[in-house]
Amino acid sequence: MNVEEQHIKSLVRETIYAAAMFLDDQKWNDWIDQCDESFHYSVVTYSHEVRKDLTYLLMSHKEMHPYFDLLPKHNTDHSPLRRHASIYTVDVSEDGKTAEAVTSFIMTQEMIDGISAPLYSGENRLYLTGKYYDKFKIDGESVKFTERVARVYTRRFDKGTHWVF
Amino acid sequence: MPARNHKQWSAKPDLELGEWVDSRIYSDEEIFEEELDKLWKKSWIALCHESELPEPYDFRTGIIAREPVIMVRGPDNKVRAFLNVCPHRGMTIERRPSGSFAPAQPSGNPKHMTCLFHAWQFDMKGNCVDIPRQKEGYQDRLDKSSQGLRALRCEVKYGGFVWVCLDDHTEFNVETWAAGAMDCIKDSLDAEPLELIHYHKAIIDCNYKLWHDTNSEFYHDYMHYHNRITGFNDDYFQRECSAYDNGHVNVGTFTVNYEEYDVAEDRGTLSFPNLPPDNWYMVDMFPGLNFNLRGSVVRMDLMTPLSANQVMIEFRGFGLKSDSPEDRAHRIQHHNSIWGPLGRNLHEDLIGVAGQGTTMTPKSEPRRILHGRHEGAYIHDEIGMRHFYESWGKKMDRLPSDPEQKYKAGKVMGPEMPPAKGLSTFAGKGA
Repeated sequence: MNVEEQHIKSLVRETIYAAAMFLDDQKWNDWIDQCDESFHYSVVTYSHEVRKDLTYLLMSHKEMHPYFDLLPKHNTDHSPLRRHASIYTVDVSEDGKTAEAVTSFIMTQEMIDGISAPLYSGENRLYLTGKYYDKFKIDGESVKFTERVARVYTRRFDKGTHWVF
Repeated sequence: MPARNHKQWSAKPDLELGEWVDSRIYSDEEIFEEELDKLWKKSWIALCHESELPEPYDFRTGIIAREPVIMVRGPDNKVRAFLNVCPHRGMTIERRPSGSFAPAQPSGNPKHMTCLFHAWQFDMKGNCVDIPRQKEGYQDRLDKSSQGLRALRCEVKYGGFVWVCLDDHTEFNVETWAAGAMDCIKDSLDAEPLELIHYHKAIIDCNYKLWHDTNSEFYHDYMHYHNRITGFNDDYFQRECSAYDNGHVNVGTFTVNYEEYDVAEDRGTLSFPNLPPDNWYMVDMFPGLNFNLRGSVVRMDLMTPLSANQVMIEFRGFGLKSDSPEDRAHRIQHHNSIWGPLGRNLHEDLIGVAGQGTTMTPKSEPRRILHGRHEGAYIHDEIGMRHFYESWGKKMDRLPSDPEQKYKAGKVMGPEMPPAKGLSTFAGKGA
């Protein structure tokens, strides 16, 4: 591995971890700023219950701002979702202009509303497990997401959420 | 009136019998056990869809009233249902939620259901076809021909849903059980084969009836920004709620204005066959099934009561089997934007019933739950719940407002009145 490739891998890792922090902190616009205009985001799963690949969310870059801008108009459970991410692989193309990464993640929920707020508020629960399959466009020091597929291994969501994974 | 003391809080509301229920029907374990026997074991339940077991030897498992059920597609292409129980020692025959019996299993031959414990084998009609060392163990005292599975009543009906009833002696088939409630959507469901496009589930600490209540009334649309902004016009307030025998209800249609919601797209071109563009029917089947035909997708909720204060809800979405990949992607998008696990409406609905469940735990103080809105049986009238609890009371022989008492009839229908006008000036419409 040459120095340039190492540097790009480092930039990609920083981008993925920064995205995790933006999403944890619900800084949606900061996350969107990390994405190229060609960006597509999806949440998919394989359901053993129905033996099919399923898509739970599909969003293009132009749909992201309206999606997040409407969130305050909706009633949403107050319990934040946060992720722990571990980057497994980063592969840089030969020309150094694109890269792909696989990141394992788990999401926990800090219970605030809970089922009964006085009882469960303050505890953390495992919300889901999954892997991010990310693609990037590299331009010098600029690294932009062009695709994120969040493949989750969870089909039981209970109350669900309005916040993306 | 200011906040009330215990006596005031516990007093009967100034409403007529039938217009409220006692919260113990949502929390009492004895009532819950009785419901399993008198309601769930007597009703036709749509446990899955035929597209979940598309090939011969495919299976799908489910639960009705704690009884494990397995549905299998035979080599004759017929779907049958059985208790998922080995007649030998009571082992669960198939542990997975779905799969195929076509390949061999570690304990069994291809194309057979095999109990892994002692390798008793059954064919797709439920016949016991092999008991290992039967002659040596049982001599002539017991023969495999008498050891078939417990067969259950099963019909594939209304767009390919697989309906199962635990009661061998039910007087109903699926159509007579539905009593006309499904007629408003059956021509759309039956026009061409459907295919499952979505599945996820929730386990919520609330009584199953609270979810059915939510599906039975639209007054809670105040909770949904999406529905306020795309509805709440004159047509919306003309949607009629209709009651049918056996406790079922349906809600008539109107045209949803999807373009009012910034990230929604019009569904007119993909609306189901025999459905006007962007229209929306809903059917609530007693005691815990719900069908939504909303423009381009069908949603079906199946409730599995787990205890007095816990329910599993399985959410399924359906498109047309003939969909092109592009059309299918749009249908999935339409479904998920409001009803997926990140969908705008479903999450809000589930917050609602989870909050109710919190206040109605077993042995908590009984309280009055009001179902008394009369709006001429139009959309915000709570006739759906009143009709449900009238049927519930008859079948349980309990009075919903005082479940220690025997059932007596209450008020279901209110006075005739014209539908309300659209609430274009509602303060929350654009909030």
